[in-house]
Amino acid sequence: MTMTEPTRVVGAGLDRVDGPLKVAGAAPYPSDVRYPAMAHAALVRSTVAAGRIAAIDTAAAEALPGVLAVLTHHNAPRLRPGPENNLGPTPPPPLQDDRILHNGQYVAVVVAEQAYQATDAARSVTVTYERAEAALDIDDDRGELKIDPFGFDGGRGDLDAGLAAADVVHEATYTTAENTNNPLGLFATVAAWDGDRVTVHDSTQWTSNVRTTLAQVFGLPEEAVRVYAKYVGGGFGSGLRVWPHTVLAVLAARVVGRPVKLVLSRPEMFTGVGHRPNTVQRIRIGARRDGGLVALDHEAVQTVAMEDENPEPVAAVSANAYACPNVRYRDRQRRLHIPCPGSMRAPGEAQGNFGLESAIDELAHRLGMDPLELRLRNYAEVQPQYGLPWSSKALRECYTVGADRFGWSRRDPRIGAMRDGRWRVGYGMAGVSYLWWQMPCAARATISRDGTGYVRSAATDIGTGTYTVMWQLSAELLGLDPDRVRFDLGDSDMPPAPQAGGSGLTGALGNAVYDSCRNLLRRFLDRVADDPGSPLRRCTVDDVAVSGGRIHHRTDPRRGESYVAILERHRLDELTADGASSPPEAQQVGMAPAGAFAAKFVEVHVDSELGLIRIPRVLSVVDGGRILNEKLARSQIIGATVGGIGQALFEETRTDARTGRVANANLGDYLVPVQADIGDLDVVFVGGPDRLTPVGTKGVGEVGLPGTAAAIANAVHHATGVRIRSLPITLEQLIAPS
Amino acid sequence: MRPFEYLRPDDVGAAVALVSADPAAQYLAGGTTQVDLMLKDGILDPERLVDITRLPLHGITADDRTLRVGALTTMEELAADPTVARRLPLVRTALLAGASAQLRNMATIGGNLLQRTRCRYFRDPTVPDCNKRRPSSGCAAITGAAARMHAILGAGETCIALHASDLCVPLVALDAVVEVRGVDGGRRIPLTEFYVLPGERPDVETVLRHGDLVTGVEVPLLPSTARSLYLKVRDRASYEFALVSVAAVLTVEDGTITEARVGLGGVGTVPWRARAAEAVLTGAAATTATYRWAAEAEIHDPFTVPGTAFKPELARRTMVRALETVVGDRP
Repeated sequence: MTMTEPTRVVGAGLDRVDGPLKVAGAAPYPSDVRYPAMAHAALVRSTVAAGRIAAIDTAAAEALPGVLAVLTHHNAPRLRPGPENNLGPTPPPPLQDDRILHNGQYVAVVVAEQAYQATDAARSVTVTYERAEAALDIDDDRGELKIDPFGFDGGRGDLDAGLAAADVVHEATYTTAENTNNPLGLFATVAAWDGDRVTVHDSTQWTSNVRTTLAQVFGLPEEAVRVYAKYVGGGFGSGLRVWPHTVLAVLAARVVGRPVKLVLSRPEMFTGVGHRPNTVQRIRIGARRDGGLVALDHEAVQTVAMEDENPEPVAAVSANAYACPNVRYRDRQRRLHIPCPGSMRAPGEAQGNFGLESAIDELAHRLGMDPLELRLRNYAEVQPQYGLPWSSKALRECYTVGADRFGWSRRDPRIGAMRDGRWRVGYGMAGVSYLWWQMPCAARATISRDGTGYVRSAATDIGTGTYTVMWQLSAELLGLDPDRVRFDLGDSDMPPAPQAGGSGLTGALGNAVYDSCRNLLRRFLDRVADDPGSPLRRCTVDDVAVSGGRIHHRTDPRRGESYVAILERHRLDELTADGASSPPEAQQVGMAPAGAFAAKFVEVHVDSELGLIRIPRVLSVVDGGRILNEKLARSQIIGATVGGIGQALFEETRTDARTGRVANANLGDYLVPVQADIGDLDVVFVGGPDRLTPVGTKGVGEVGLPGTAAAIANAVHHATGVRIRSLPITLEQLIAPS
Repeated sequence: MRPFEYLRPDDVGAAVALVSADPAAQYLAGGTTQVDLMLKDGILDPERLVDITRLPLHGITADDRTLRVGALTTMEELAADPTVARRLPLVRTALLAGASAQLRNMATIGGNLLQRTRCRYFRDPTVPDCNKRRPSSGCAAITGAAARMHAILGAGETCIALHASDLCVPLVALDAVVEVRGVDGGRRIPLTEFYVLPGERPDVETVLRHGDLVTGVEVPLLPSTARSLYLKVRDRASYEFALVSVAAVLTVEDGTITEARVGLGGVGTVPWRARAAEAVLTGAAATTATYRWAAEAEIHDPFTVPGTAFKPELARRTMVRALETVVGDRP
């Protein structure tokens, strides 16, 4: 039983199973959860970036109507540090001492009968700070510069020899701004204790991790913590960690002895749930006259908090993107008095790809070569670091199919040669080689005597479509009509699942669902192994196929029987089986596990007099392995492309130099693209199932974002001759000198 | 938000009396500014809120020279009005370039005139230095990282907060008149004299006295010979305040500009009437050289900070583009 055969429900795909609920406003997000006698919490945040709390006066707040408790570092119970996982340590627990490490750090939490009372009381808490000098700028030497912070630095060949042998060397510095995830759904936590057990509804991308973390922080056995995240209003990576507000909601509920709801405000979303760190990247790239790369050196500095971590390799994008013999990639992290950065859709890749793919374009221009041709000239047929074959790679098709569909051949290579009235027209492109990522995952499958299937896992659906694709996949694997199958998730009591992140969940969960369904089929076959009357007697899973609620011989569909018949004959209400998946070892399988690949083609129009830019069309050609639901996968690419346009043109979190205060912490001043900014977004999928796993997916949640900014900047150069090496591309940069 | 008294009177006199009698009282109309400032930002704390939405101040009437707009008319209603579409197309464009459809359905014309600045240093109570919020406390915006959408005209060391209305830009160019009702009766104030430059008192924004209520706006209709335009430049294509905007009305006869009205948005601490530009334009040849000269005459002594350093030249170019376009277009 492999998944490479044509199938009935997988592929073109079904409409979102959660669509009607969401459109009707009936999907219960964490902020919608209510309990009887529920109280509400509000946060007090530091207004300085460094120093200590000299005094904190809560008397006025405590005297206000409805206020139940005000917790500060003076009276908050002591908490244990959370665990470390593959995304690094848990953020330090809040309210444990008087030190201030960033503006926006929580210094108190207020609990009141009503949300407005809590908010009002929070504004009445008076904090006096003993200020210290804050390091806030990525170039500030007062902040420690961590060398090789992820142990990921590396390379191959002899960089200096490569540079010396190059006919052309391009060297430049690229910078990317701090961006904030800004999921539409404000993060919320509702916590309800029952004795020493606690139930938590949380805006998270990883229920299993919230459970483990809260258990450790509060000194509870894991079974005493149950975490729900049935619906999450977006995350883009900000829900991957257990941030202090979640801990504070649970703590507040314990202190007041009532269920407590805490909903972050939009400004709090800018300081409390991570952000994409800004970067400064120095790139040197050398080639022979014929375009063959001989040297690639990528060094990236990014920011990180004073006492927290964020593993986010940036320069590593240059490791395997091109078949270059002499490569070096190095990451650096500057410790600053800032809220801790975290993953934001395509962490590291979003920034690193902008540097690399801009540099490739600049090199092509220097060589007088078509940038597409330069990329094909240096195509990495095998994984260049280890020389292993890729588990799948259709990047060449991404380039060629894309060039054809976009009309790349109509591009006049001369700068500024293409016009549309007042607008200068430019074509630009970029390539993307996305990192592979997979984590262990478990799932459970059941078929009941009424003939329905039920498959579940503790995973989350942050709006990507996990409910839908896993429902489809379950129906397919169990041979049941989709309306006879239910897939559920978002409950930490279900079999443990990894984060919805790193473009890794569909692969991990899909293969766990595959394994559980296959094990369930095995359990049915075990039951009838000795049934003299069963047409499936002594069959193995490889002998049979499933369809229409029946198990039958692969070669003769008439010889078989239904799940219901087997359960009835054996007087069973149901059969259940667990399954799991784990990431394969590259060396064992003899292949380099491949993430998704993509090519981006962009047309821009620039009005250089007024500094205006419009993007009438973006084409994304994606090799995402097997596509389980083309409609949802397309939505992922479209959404990520919009995110890429945001990174390219609009998004920049600005911080005041004196106080470290985020100065544009709302959706009026922090700009994201609006519908009117978005032109035609064309998406094409190429390639086929990846060879690494039975299901053959590669994950398409992030690959649509990187490449967008570089392709836009490259197109701007083509249109105007202005080379933008600093994101976002603003009106100030585009406006031509008078 | 602190608890407050909420009143909803039915007649104008009662509303004016209720607010005038109580220094801690404020009016509530569409609420699109007031509710933000009270609930989200926490910088307004009225003890009494007088809801005026039941007052008979809705509606649009017109004769052949003047449009009269009741203060409670919404932005969307005014944009949809046929007389506005025909005789004041630049007002319609400005309205539809502002806010979002949802906000325009709530926000009123009176409220639009009195909207508060979007300066993030004004709107954040944790910022101690804001002369507009706390007189003589300083101006954090001048050195702030988010000083970009700020004023360069009428601005100074005390305050660079922008009046961000789109609507007011054509209205100030058209010599609209504000109808006001106070405890002493009604009066009419030209919009060009309605706003006060920050000077030493950025907290004083208009000539209104506490309790005065805007009841309506009168807008002179354009003569059929006039050509007009509202041009807004911003980073994204909708839902953003102007970096620069221009309302232009020109009458051109035989290649000579006989009448010019120009308003500027995105650059002034008040909606900006470009009288220096108008003086250059009036009687001059309708050429790009004239437009550039007019733009330089208007933007000749801007007050900039690093974040607004690009604005003077952008403002000049936007003026030139607007004037070129308005002359190039049919009226």
